[in-house]
Parts: sequence; C-alpha cells; structure tokens
Amino acid sequence: MKLEEALSYTEKCFNGEPATCSWACPFRLDIRDFLGKAENGKWNAAYKLYRNAVAFPVAVSLLCDAPCRSRCQRQALGDAPIAVLDIEAAVIKYAGTKKAQKYVIPPKEGRVAVIGAGLAGLSCALGLAQKRIDVTVYEREAQLGGALRMHPRFDEIAQDIQLQFSAAEAEFRLGEEIASLESLAGYSAVYIATGTDGEHFGCLESWDSALFSCSTPGVFLGGALTGSSPVEGIAQGIAAARNIEIYLQLGKISESYGASSGDGLENCGRSIGHEGAESIPAVIAASPDGYTSEEAAREAARCLKCDCDKCMSSCEMLRAFRKKPHKIATEVYTDQNASPPYSSHTITRETFSCNICGYCKSVCPEGVDIGALLRVSRAERMNAGSAPAALHDFWMREMDFNTGEAALCAPPPGAHECEYVFFPGCQLGASRPDHVRLAYGLINSNNNCGIYLGCCGAPAWWAGDDRRFFANLSAIRANWESLGRPIFVFACATCVGLFGAFAPDIAFISLYELLDALDSLAPVCAFGRVSVFDPCSARGGKAMRAAVRSIVARSGAEIAPLPELGRCCGYGGHMRVANPKLYDEIVSNRAAASGEPYIVYCANCREVFAAYGKECSHILDVALGLATTAGVPTISEKRANSLELREEFAFCNLGSRPPRSVPRWDGISLVMGAQLRERLDRELIAQDDIKEAIFMAQSSGAYFTDEASGARICSLVKPVLTYWALYKPLESGIYEILDAYCHRMRFEPEAR
Amino acid sequence: MNVENTIWRCARCDVPLIMKKTVFNYLGQSFTHDVPCCPSCGNVLITPELARGKMAQVEEQLEDK
Repeated sequence: MKLEEALSYTEKCFNGEPATCSWACPFRLDIRDFLGKAENGKWNAAYKLYRNAVAFPVAVSLLCDAPCRSRCQRQALGDAPIAVLDIEAAVIKYAGTKKAQKYVIPPKEGRVAVIGAGLAGLSCALGLAQKRIDVTVYEREAQLGGALRMHPRFDEIAQDIQLQFSAAEAEFRLGEEIASLESLAGYSAVYIATGTDGEHFGCLESWDSALFSCSTPGVFLGGALTGSSPVEGIAQGIAAARNIEIYLQLGKISESYGASSGDGLENCGRSIGHEGAESIPAVIAASPDGYTSEEAAREAARCLKCDCDKCMSSCEMLRAFRKKPHKIATEVYTDQNASPPYSSHTITRETFSCNICGYCKSVCPEGVDIGALLRVSRAERMNAGSAPAALHDFWMREMDFNTGEAALCAPPPGAHECEYVFFPGCQLGASRPDHVRLAYGLINSNNNCGIYLGCCGAPAWWAGDDRRFFANLSAIRANWESLGRPIFVFACATCVGLFGAFAPDIAFISLYELLDALDSLAPVCAFGRVSVFDPCSARGGKAMRAAVRSIVARSGAEIAPLPELGRCCGYGGHMRVANPKLYDEIVSNRAAASGEPYIVYCANCREVFAAYGKECSHILDVALGLATTAGVPTISEKRANSLELREEFAFCNLGSRPPRSVPRWDGISLVMGAQLRERLDRELIAQDDIKEAIFMAQSSGAYFTDEASGARICSLVKPVLTYWALYKPLESGIYEILDAYCHRMRFEPEAR
Repeated sequence: MNVENTIWRCARCDVPLIMKKTVFNYLGQSFTHDVPCCPSCGNVLITPELARGKMAQVEEQLEDK
C-alpha cells in the first residue's frame, strides 16, 4: 500500500485542523488556541500568537470586521458568537511585554523592493525583514501608513508599526516615487502595494490572486490596489512575503499555506454538533473602555474549542490508544514495511484491537472509517507475512472446520434446485442448533428452500486473509450456481454485510423478514420490556432491524430504545485475543447501555452477553416461542452441534448420512471442574485439542510425570499454538484435567 | 498443584528433568531461556507459570514490535 492510499482513508478527517472560525480568518489565526490562552490569563502568550499571525496587532484589532464571528459554532446553541475582537483588544491591553518578533537567523540572499508603505506593503516588508531579507520600502509620501493615516487612532497604529519593525532591519525611502519597474532592476523581486487606484506598472491585468504574482517574473502585487480591504491587504502582504521568500530561494512561485481569505471557506461548514454543550450568554463589558481582564477571560472561556474528536470519544479502542486518525493512517503505512529488529511496528496492537464495526464511520461527520483502514492494515500485514497469526488462529481454525467437516450445501428433499437457501452462518447452528432446525422447518414449509451450512468468511476477512476470504466466497458462489441461484436467507448480519459488499449479485433476505411475514408466527417474549441490541453489522440493514422489532412488538413486549445504534458487542473483528482487557471493557459497556434485558439477533452477541451475565434472548427464541437459554455451549460442544446438524440435514435433504471422520482421540473423556471449563473456553482452548494432546502423549509416552501426585503434563504442537495439558489418568480413557494452557512461541533445545 | 516446584520426570526416558538453556522463537526473533528439559531425549517442559507469565509478556512485546 502506498502512503497516499493509507492517507486517503483519513483525508476527510479534520481533527487538529483549524476550527471553522479560523478558516474564516484572513490570517488563519488559531482562534481556539488564542482564546484558550486568554481564558487562562496568559496574556503574553496570547499576544505573541496574535502578533505572529497578524503582523500589526493594533491595526488589525481596530480594522478587522471579524468574519470569524459568523462561523462561531456557539451560535448553533442559540448563543452570541465569541467577541473575538474585544478579546484581541484586551490581549493587547493586558499583555505585559509587547515585543517584536525576532528570528535569530543569518541574512538571506536577494534584495526586495516594496512599493507603497501602507499596511499591505509594510506587512510584506516586515515579513521579509524578519527573515533577514534585504528589503527597501519606497513611499512617495513623506509618511508611512498609506490610507490609514486618516484613521482617528492612527497614532496607536503608527506606534505599533514602529514596535513591530524594531527588531527587523528594513530601509525606508520616504518621498521617493517609483516611475517604472526598470528603475528597480537591481532588486530580485518587487512587491507593488500602491493602494486604491495606485500605479501598477501594467502588472494588474495578469495578477494571480492565489500567488500574488503576475506575468512579469519576480513581480508581486497586493493590498487595496487589487481591491482588497485593509485587513485582507495585511494578510496578503504576510502571505506574499512567504511566496517571495520561496521565489528567492527556488526561482519559482508556489502557493503558501493560508494564502488568501477565500481558501478553505468551504471548511467553515464543518460543524461538529456539540451535543450536550451548555448555552452560555456573552459577557458584556461593564465599562465602555472594553473588557477587564477577568471579563475577557470569561468571554474567552465560552469558546467551545471546536475540534472534532467524535470517533475518539465514541470508540473505546480509539480512546485507549489515543492516536489520531491521520497518525493512524501514517503508521498503517509505515507498519507494513517495518522489519524488526531493525525497525519496529508501531500500531500492531491497535490494528488487531479494532472491532471493525464501523461505528467510527457512523459518528464521523465526514464518514471516515478507521475500522476499514485497520482491516486493510491487517491485510497488508498478512501479505507481508508479519501478521501475528496467533491473534486469529482460533477463528481461522473454526473457519476451516465450518467450511470443511461441518459444511453442507443441500437442496430441499427430492429437489436439485431451490428458490431459497437458508444460510444460518457458522455460529447459529453451533450455538443453538434448535434455532436452525425450527427456522428451516418454518421457511421450507412455506417456500422451496435448501440448506447451506458454512461460513461467510468473516474470520478470514477480519484476520486480513483476503485470499482465503475470496476463495471461500468463490466456493459459495459455485454452490449457489449449482442450486439454481436461489435467494440466500441469512440469520447473521455479518453474512449480510459481507455478501452485500462482495457478492452484490446474490440476492438475499434476512430470516427475520421472512419470519415476520408469516401470519402464523406467534412470538412469545420472556420479558415484558426489552431493548433490541442490533449487531454492529446490521447498522445498514434497515429492513432486518425493522423485522426484528416487529417480531418483538408482536410478542407484546415493550421496546426501550438504546441510546446508540449498532454498537459492537465486543465480538467484531475478533480482537479478543489481541486485547482481552479492552474486550472486557467493551462488553461491560454494551451490557450497561440499558438496564432492560436485550433481544439480540446475532448468535455472537447472545453468547457474549450470556457469558457476561447480561439477561438476553435471541430473537428466534421470541419468534419461535422457545424458552430462553442462559448458558453458552463450550467450544467442543459447539463443534459437536455443528456436526450433528450437518448429519441431520444431509439425511433429511440428501437421504444419506455422510461419513463422519471420527478422530482417534474421540473416545477419550475429560473430567474437569466448571470453573476450569469456563476458563478454558474464555482462553479459547478447545477440549478437542486437550484430548488430542493426551491421546498422542499416552500413545507415544512423550509426557512428564510426577510420581508423588500421579500428575502428568503433555503438549501438542499445532501450526500456530502449542497446547499443554496437566492431567491425571483416572480409569481407562478417562482423564482428570487439572489445567490446560497454550503459548505462541516455539522452542528448541540449544545445540550442544 | 504447584507445577513449578515439582520434580518432573520424563516418562519415556525415566529420568528427572534438568534446567537447560533452550532457544525460543517468535515472529522471527529468537532468544534463550533456562527451562526444565529431559537430559536424555531433550523434551522441553513449559510450566503454566512460565506460559501465562513471562512467556505471554514477551509474546506480547514481540507482537508490538
């Protein structure tokens, strides 16, 4: 992935960019920062920031018509905009030390002539002089100030001009009129700022309003001569000085940041909502002389410090890692090329801690999807061979199982093709095989419906294994073709999402829509009042969401809406191994989102909440009038459920039971306490793997033993993880499990 | 039971394990650590304390690098 590609994911993110008010400011003053300083009484710091942005603070505070006010987001709350101008005046008044800006740098090559000593010319001259560029200001009048000399407070302005030039060397030639540009042939560049209707030496026609240059190389124009206001003229002078500096260095002209007030105005509309922000009335100065320092600070404190952090404040993961979107994009790019130990990956944990639920995208005013970026990061790491396989190994093995041993694609009994095919997804049948049996019975009695037990490929997608994902999708497509292109009936919103995105030609409907269409359905809900917890992947599935709510409503249960739509229960993205602590935090937050029991329609959501102890029912319990089960089967029980379901459907739909490959260790029985069983499931250690380890050890004698207690320890090396079992043989084929654990490292005895 | 303080024997070789330097590899990096091994066949024992403690910690550090 190229850097541009990574950055394109977050290019619309405006976190850290100037606020809407600053985009309106001709100087791009960082008003947020400025007001923050004023709020804290840091008058000197505020003055410095202001002076550096506007060149002549006194003149600008007197002349500016404050376009920032019309862009102040306080107005959205019904409040008056922040009185930025009054605060600027207060800053100038209360700053203890007012000094000119001075750069300690060596003198630069090149000489520049500025024609006109109005504020436009002077701001350009000041900018150049501060950068130690030899600058001469020509003014036909005997005084500085141009048109502003008529201003009632010109004395203050003139004093400020003097102050700002006090630390910069510039030559002033007053009373000297320039008749032609030829007379300035000794200068490398010329800035013409001769005021309204002033002399432009034939250069105005070719004036470039973005670069301030014209067709004559090295000649720049700005100020009232070009039709701008006095304040715009100052801003132009500052920007032109930067462009001239670049021109002197490179002999070329390029645009500098914040060149003209027109740029970026489109960004002024980027409001961020401010939900929950308090309305605060404007501070009115008690004295006609303006704010006291206390009043100015109070008014500055009304600033909302508009900066979008919606994704970071909404998502536990982004909050935990505290990296901003642009930084994430850059690190996604650098991470793919990192090669430890010479260079380190910097964003691995974050990449693999994301639920890829798209909630960040749903709250972002610009629709930036960090989850999509981090998924690409996983895919890049997979391609580069640097993805930590252990983080997704459990689910990849589950996918192998669900698309292998446990898979079945069968038309309805006695048919070759069908109109519908029920695709319950890999988890529903494993977790609640009764749901699959009963739901299939209902659909098939009304429709000509086949069954497809398999996996949509979400584990591969979330692991970043795109090759595996698309291979699986091709296999599904081939089966779909062989069934006569039936409509898929999905019970899982993740399947819906992935098929919708990558197989848009395959028509589908959610199981819940089909069930809700049945007049005969008699839903029964175990709870009187519930909250429907939509899976994150159903955020876009309006019809599915509506059908689920309709089924709940038909049961007579009252629905208390959740405050947020489509939050991930914690399961998404398979981030649990990468970040167990964050996983627990997410699950706990989701469970606490409502005091009511949840109705879920994702098998994973149900298991996550059931394991956490949150009261919940699957919508199929409601729709089919089943008793709610609180428990969660173990990993091995789920595998057994899937295999049994496959056999049943093969027998019913195809007329024969397929041969089941029974592993040699299947006959082993394990005895263990409930606590240990729960722990192993939480650590994703399947009892099948423990059985295999013990079987292999007992057959080969490769185990360790403690004669005193009779305990044994053995290991099983799988392609990614190594499993260990601590056990005691009870009687033939029965083993008491004392502990089991796994690790990711490989080991070998050191060579002698 | 305290696996760490138990004197384990290799069932096949019928000898007590001894602490021996062992090379560990993960994500392209390798390092050595003393762990109980069979002096005869070289089989290595990783205790639950080591797997859940130091080893898990180092695994996480290497994944983050």
